Amino acid sequence: MSSYILKRILMSIPLLITISFITFVFINLSPIDPVEVVLHAQGVPNITAELIAETKAMLGMNQPFMLRYLNWLVACLQFDFGHSYVTGKPVWSLLGPAFLNTLKLTSVSVIAIIALSVVLGVISAWREGKMMDKSIRGVSFFLTSMPSYWLAALMVWFLSVKLDLLPTSGMDSLKSYVLPVVVITISFAGVYFRIVRSSMISNMNEDYVLYGRACGLPERKITLHILRNSLQVAISVFGMAIPIILGSTVVVENIFAWPGLGTLSVKSILSRDFPIIQAYVLVLAVTFVLFNTVSDILNAAMNPKLRKDL
Amino acid sequence: MTRKTIGLLMALMVSIVLLAACGNDKAETTSPADQRKELVYATSKDINDMNPHLYTGSLPAQGMVYESLVENTEDGIKPLLAESWKVSDDGKIYTFHLRKDVKFHDGEPFNAEAVKKNIEAVQSNASKHTWIKLSTKIASLQAIDEYTFELVLSEPYYPTLLELSMTRPYVFISPKDFMNGGTKDGVNGYDGTGPYKLTEHKSDQYAVFEANENYWGGAPKVSKVTAKVLPAGETTLLALQKGEVDFIFTDDRGADSIDVEAMNKLVETGEYQLVRSKAMNTKMIVANSSQADSPIHKTAVREAIWYSIDRETISKQIFNGTETEADTLFSSNVNYANVALKKRGYDLEKAKEILEEAGWKLEKGGEVRIKDGSKLMIKLYYDVNSSSQKTQAEFIQSTVKKIGIELKLVGEESSSIANRRSTGDYELLFNQTWGLAYDPQSTIAAFTSESAYLHTTKGIAKANELYEKINQVMVTMEEAGRKSLYADILTIVHDEAVFIPITNGNVTVVAPENLHGISFKQTQYELPFERLYFE
Repeated sequence: MSSYILKRILMSIPLLITISFITFVFINLSPIDPVEVVLHAQGVPNITAELIAETKAMLGMNQPFMLRYLNWLVACLQFDFGHSYVTGKPVWSLLGPAFLNTLKLTSVSVIAIIALSVVLGVISAWREGKMMDKSIRGVSFFLTSMPSYWLAALMVWFLSVKLDLLPTSGMDSLKSYVLPVVVITISFAGVYFRIVRSSMISNMNEDYVLYGRACGLPERKITLHILRNSLQVAISVFGMAIPIILGSTVVVENIFAWPGLGTLSVKSILSRDFPIIQAYVLVLAVTFVLFNTVSDILNAAMNPKLRKDL
Repeated sequence: MTRKTIGLLMALMVSIVLLAACGNDKAETTSPADQRKELVYATSKDINDMNPHLYTGSLPAQGMVYESLVENTEDGIKPLLAESWKVSDDGKIYTFHLRKDVKFHDGEPFNAEAVKKNIEAVQSNASKHTWIKLSTKIASLQAIDEYTFELVLSEPYYPTLLELSMTRPYVFISPKDFMNGGTKDGVNGYDGTGPYKLTEHKSDQYAVFEANENYWGGAPKVSKVTAKVLPAGETTLLALQKGEVDFIFTDDRGADSIDVEAMNKLVETGEYQLVRSKAMNTKMIVANSSQADSPIHKTAVREAIWYSIDRETISKQIFNGTETEADTLFSSNVNYANVALKKRGYDLEKAKEILEEAGWKLEKGGEVRIKDGSKLMIKLYYDVNSSSQKTQAEFIQSTVKKIGIELKLVGEESSSIANRRSTGDYELLFNQTWGLAYDPQSTIAAFTSESAYLHTTKGIAKANELYEKINQVMVTMEEAGRKSLYADILTIVHDEAVFIPITNGNVTVVAPENLHGISFKQTQYELPFERLYFE
């Protein structure tokens, strides 16, 4: 098992290097001169040729491309992502808190998503084809297909403005978690509960269920067995839910003025704050690779057959 | 079992909501009693680094914390941190007598030495400040005695006091906050002399400014101003309806994202008032006169485009009446801009006539005019992030089509448009003047600057005469001479139609109905918060 883990981790390194290189190339392909971006971002009202030359030297932009990339990569490995063009602060000092804020939101949402998908998936599978199953699927289809910004606006208007129950935005108290978490949960649970449901249904038709019933095992015990087996399939899906949600909070964060990665990335993209954009893409890529690796390892731990494939 | 599970699920959901409802609520709306003392405004951007000698901080926030030597008002330059001043006869030496009762927020005394250190700190980062011409003309600084300060220029420069009145960079921060003896590499704190102190800042969330009880001008009545970062316009509107935010204004982008109709609806509720300043800037289309191979090189084409823009419709339909029609580069309330210039209204017939005379002919059945075998096709660049620019561009495209001009629209990022402006790689692009406090001198100084409007003005017949007059006006100390020079400058660019005005923008405030003292500064970027009070 440990050799599998080692191999799996080693495999992700070239992937990460490729991602970092592509990110760097893409940003350097931008037709806009980064030096001018820096100066515009800093609000310098008049950009002179001397100022451009001075800034270029200061940022090390006059070096060859590969050297710049290597310097950047080496620095990134030491958690030094450079300085924001706009604020001049170290990127990690902006990215770190934003990442934590998004992680807080994501963790609460993932727990809610898993709880809701499992409960709904089980009910739906158990009542397959019945009224209950149909209505759960219908409602979830309706809710998932609603754009999240619209759903969010609707909920803020009703729950915050009309009923005065919750704050409209910000990250001030426990209350401020409710609306963003509900919006994220609604847009994801509808998808994930289907996975639990179909996995449950396919397990229900397995021979061991028939055998259990034949042996007169109580229904509750049989359900637990089915659930345990179905969740094994769902683990890798749920494992990947965390990075997917981390990367897709942009809309929700912007609507709820949540000071997380989504808000930061939009702000950085609009102001062309390249060091932050680069670091943001890299951090997300690492998270994806990391969770992918972890869920592979978990799966392999549960199913020894998978280890041999590598 | 099913029913049980559903019951459980419901119970879970209810308890989550209840649990959340029990959470502590420090940012909850303030109760009506203490709301009389506090104001929360929405801002689209964080206040950022508040170092007053750099340009990343939010202007309205910096305006609350820092002060300049003199103040620019509707009635001219007035004393602020300097009680009085004297200008030598040759216009080179400015002697300021400072107020004696001023302290920085950290208790440090404000005196001539502090003024000297601050201006030195600005000057040591000269390349960042070239836009403010004063920075290139300061020869020496001297603290004569504790409260007398002398500024010596290399040559006379009439807008000196005006540029000293701006929100940055010539404002004062406690020398105790300096880092490495200056402010270039950052500062250790944000202690100004202004009516408000910055007491709390949570990056990208909010910033709290508390009244400076020891303010030399008397503590402001509104004791706490909070700037809340709300990036999406829709969120701001909902937060306003709920009362989490009670004040918005059109700072550099801020409330622009709020729908005009939504603002009007808020006012209809009777709980809010809407206050608009007079014209603060001019939104315009800039034509590149120096592109010799483009039709836009010719005055006739520029004039024809000017005549074919229906400003009334743009103002009423696109801006919903929030911006007024502009007929000249500067509105008449701008200093020295009250000059009689030929009015070019919306007149398609006149535009056609001008093009005919200039040799641009429309072939039978043709839609685009042709001269010497080339079509009358022009590119207009607009900022993709500005929805109003796109709408205006499309509207103008449809009207110039009627006179036989084909306008191609290209949407780009603002930085790339700025890049085009400085390299001269454009035919037409949207822009705006610097705004009240800075005009006319900053926009006019930009006529000669490569990074601004040099390519716009370079191709006109009287270009050299224009540049000479611009150089002259900046050093002319006598008022009458300055007036006539400005009149000439404005007439030249108006006749050549290189700056095609569209509308005048203003500052709009949405505030609680019982808030009084709403007034404006001579700039579109900030407000005098210290004058506000509830009744």
